[in-house]
Amino acid sequence: MRCSSFIGHDEAKLAIILNAIDPRCGGVLFVGEKGCGKSTLARSLRSILPSGTPFVELPLNVTDESLLGTIAIEDTLRTGARVFQHGLFSRAHGGVLFIDDVNLLSPEIVSLILEVQGRGENIVEREGLRMRHPASFILVASMYPEEGDLSPHLLDRFGMCAGFERLTDAGERMSVVRAAICQDQTDADLELTERIEVARKILPTVSVRDRFLEYIADICINYNVAGHRADLYLLAAARAHAAFKGNEDVTREDINTVASLVLMHRRRELQPPPDQQEDPPPPPEHNHEPPPDNQQEQQPEPPQNNTDEQEHDQPPKPHELPPQKEEVFTVGQTFQLKRIAFRKDRLERAASGRRTRTRARNRGGRYVKSVLRQNRDIAIDATLRAAAPFQLVRKRTDVVVINEEDFRYKRKERKMGHLAIFIVDGSGSMGAQKRMVAAKGAVQSLLMDCYQKRDTVAIIVFRKDRAEVVLEPTASVEHAARRLREIPVGGKTPLGAGLLEAYRLLQRVGRKRPETRFLILLITDGRANQSVTEMPPDEEVARMAALMSEQAGIDIVVVDTEEKGRFTTMDRAASIAALLGADYHTIEDLKADYLVDIVKRSFPEV
Amino acid sequence: MIFPFSAIVDQEEMKTGLILNVIDPSIGGLLIMGEKGTGKSTAVRALADLLPEIEAVKDCPFTCDPSGVLCSKCTEDLQNEGHLHPTRKKMRVVELPLGITEDRLVGTLDIEHAIKKGEKRFEPGILADANRNFLYVDEVNLLEDHIVDLLLDSAAMGVNTVEREGVSFVHPARFMLVGTMNPEEGDLRPQLLDRFGLCVGVTSLYDKGQRIEILRRRAAFDSDQGLFYKQWNGEQQKLSGRISAARSIVDSIPMDDRVLEKIVSVTASLKLDGHRADIVMMKTSRALAAFRELSTIGSDEIRDAAWFALRHRLKRLPFEEIGAEREKVTEALALI
Repeated sequence: MRCSSFIGHDEAKLAIILNAIDPRCGGVLFVGEKGCGKSTLARSLRSILPSGTPFVELPLNVTDESLLGTIAIEDTLRTGARVFQHGLFSRAHGGVLFIDDVNLLSPEIVSLILEVQGRGENIVEREGLRMRHPASFILVASMYPEEGDLSPHLLDRFGMCAGFERLTDAGERMSVVRAAICQDQTDADLELTERIEVARKILPTVSVRDRFLEYIADICINYNVAGHRADLYLLAAARAHAAFKGNEDVTREDINTVASLVLMHRRRELQPPPDQQEDPPPPPEHNHEPPPDNQQEQQPEPPQNNTDEQEHDQPPKPHELPPQKEEVFTVGQTFQLKRIAFRKDRLERAASGRRTRTRARNRGGRYVKSVLRQNRDIAIDATLRAAAPFQLVRKRTDVVVINEEDFRYKRKERKMGHLAIFIVDGSGSMGAQKRMVAAKGAVQSLLMDCYQKRDTVAIIVFRKDRAEVVLEPTASVEHAARRLREIPVGGKTPLGAGLLEAYRLLQRVGRKRPETRFLILLITDGRANQSVTEMPPDEEVARMAALMSEQAGIDIVVVDTEEKGRFTTMDRAASIAALLGADYHTIEDLKADYLVDIVKRSFPEV
Repeated sequence: MIFPFSAIVDQEEMKTGLILNVIDPSIGGLLIMGEKGTGKSTAVRALADLLPEIEAVKDCPFTCDPSGVLCSKCTEDLQNEGHLHPTRKKMRVVELPLGITEDRLVGTLDIEHAIKKGEKRFEPGILADANRNFLYVDEVNLLEDHIVDLLLDSAAMGVNTVEREGVSFVHPARFMLVGTMNPEEGDLRPQLLDRFGLCVGVTSLYDKGQRIEILRRRAAFDSDQGLFYKQWNGEQQKLSGRISAARSIVDSIPMDDRVLEKIVSVTASLKLDGHRADIVMMKTSRALAAFRELSTIGSDEIRDAAWFALRHRLKRLPFEEIGAEREKVTEALALI
């Protein structure tokens, strides 16, 4: 479909246009539900780019070889000299690399993209090849956030981000259908192309006055963005916008119009503790005067688009826990965890300890070395090296002679994913007798073990009327510890919601990395009293527990935080543990040193 | 074209950390930890421009030092001809890409040569390029374990010993390992952490004036790189002059007992294991003195060196963040 005929989503469309005018805008990420036209709009960029600009699609099942380039088999065998076959990075040079469902890419591929894009050059040192070629491209991508998250690092590389809502306006919906069946929109498209053409010509002459540079810096400081890319992208976007308008001078309005595109994905996930950093000011007004040049101390309001319709385009908001009557408890005493024998049979798991690498079953994973043992992936370089010294003896004429014994195969490795999900009860009952202090101590002890084994961890907190992932899976346990300290307590106990959130996380991670092993640690007193469905809380918990216990590749541990030996003791967590088929421990057990290197047992080392 | 080193706004600690390694390569490299988009990679790549020339054997792919450890080939040549041909070579920043395979890291059989001549000849890998140069790994915490193992091996030995595919070869592989990483993406293996001589942390600048200056310089660079380079040429010359001067005096700065005692008192009060920290701190304070055009090492140099050398070596609870130990170091430094 053509860009001009695209209905709605003005902001997203603007992002595409600005990138077509100046690639320094840094590409764009479209976030939204399935089937709302993200990919269609992204692909429409092709029609408004200068002709000959590469637009390369990166499929999710891409391999390192097809991305970075590999050894060209036929030419190499024919000539006896190594020939490089260019990969996607090479083809995308000077243009656009488009990734649909970018959040489903494997972390290994993401790290390659980050590396090469950051350097602007692809350095190939693999499969016996040594090669470097320029590779500067912008990233255009789409994602449906419920299917998985995106590394903040990769997120930062997108100059812009635009949200997609399902169109609710009946008129707009009609137009979408009409546009989809009618291909004849060339006039409007031509007009847009011309306008972009003109804008490109003006662009080099577009200047930015000092006070607007200051304005940009102010906005970025107020938004508390990490790093300095935001400033640069905001400047580029504002210049492109001015050029698109046909102006040679960037105005405050240009900056305000593009600011939400550039900044929406750059707010830090969670605000720093309030004693360190003030909350960033509310998004800016549109109709404000720029600060006069001579009044340095006047703070401009950060920008936002003036129209109401754009409010729904706001990014997934950082998890802000509302400031109500709640307490944040310190982390209690940590303790050494001891090892005891395991009830459940963990044999199936014996082959996959932490930090051990599994040989990748399918073609995923990274080629690290060649081996003699046969598999599906022939290592051309190693095979050639094996055959090479014999070519004279074998009387090579026009093609390299390869014998059976020369064949070498690729050994591909992929780090085994171990994810420990902590589901922490943050309800009011955890505040009684400071149970939360002890609970945090328990979590911290378990985290420490994860650190030593280099597991990834995630934290889900449930309280009041919902559960949320306060820490997306991360390998940084420091990060997790910080997040743990920040967990507040107060409100009801939506235990079912906590389990549901964990279940969703399992699905998301499992889709991206099917080989992941999970350990779920539920830290609660089990007193569910709030449901998120129509069911009563207990039934909801039972249903969720059944769902969870059916999952393969999961170990569940329940840590009961209830204070025992009182007349109020209810032992609800024990019955939930039974429902989940989980191991059950009380905090007192943990404290009394009976227990247990829980994590260690579940992810045994080889 | 690379953004000029001297045009990088602020981030003095990171820049000094790199420069100290140029002044005394035996310091052993630098780990730069920090948020995304703070100019870590820009600084490392920009360093290339400021690097001095070193003496090396002519046409040797391993940049052998004529008066140092030699590769198999140079050893042979020296035996056969009785002398080596020295030449001057500019030091380099060699990049190690994440997707590297083992054969290209350590080197392997030269395929073409084998096919045409039927002879087995060694084809050098990245470790060969890296000898006596900077070896730069971007996102070092994302490197495959398998590659890290090989890297650690040769870093520990200072040589790369190859025995594969019928080729045997030994060459020196002493490099200054420079890594950048964003700690949010995952931690670094302790053995690898210890391999970095120095460590610095970078954060975004929140001073408005500095942010504007970054914007201004970047915009100027983007609009006319050649002109920007010319404008910064003076600064670049001045800085590389200062580095060469420091290189020429660094060895002559005395390390008397008074200095050594102070260093040891700091490392001892912090209960650091091993002696790598002491040695690195000593070399760093000396390089700092040279860079500051001093003829002796003062307490300031020792204090500053401590931050560079100790930050990543302090024992800490598993999830104390790097930097959380600031107080301990400040306390220890108050003693000197």
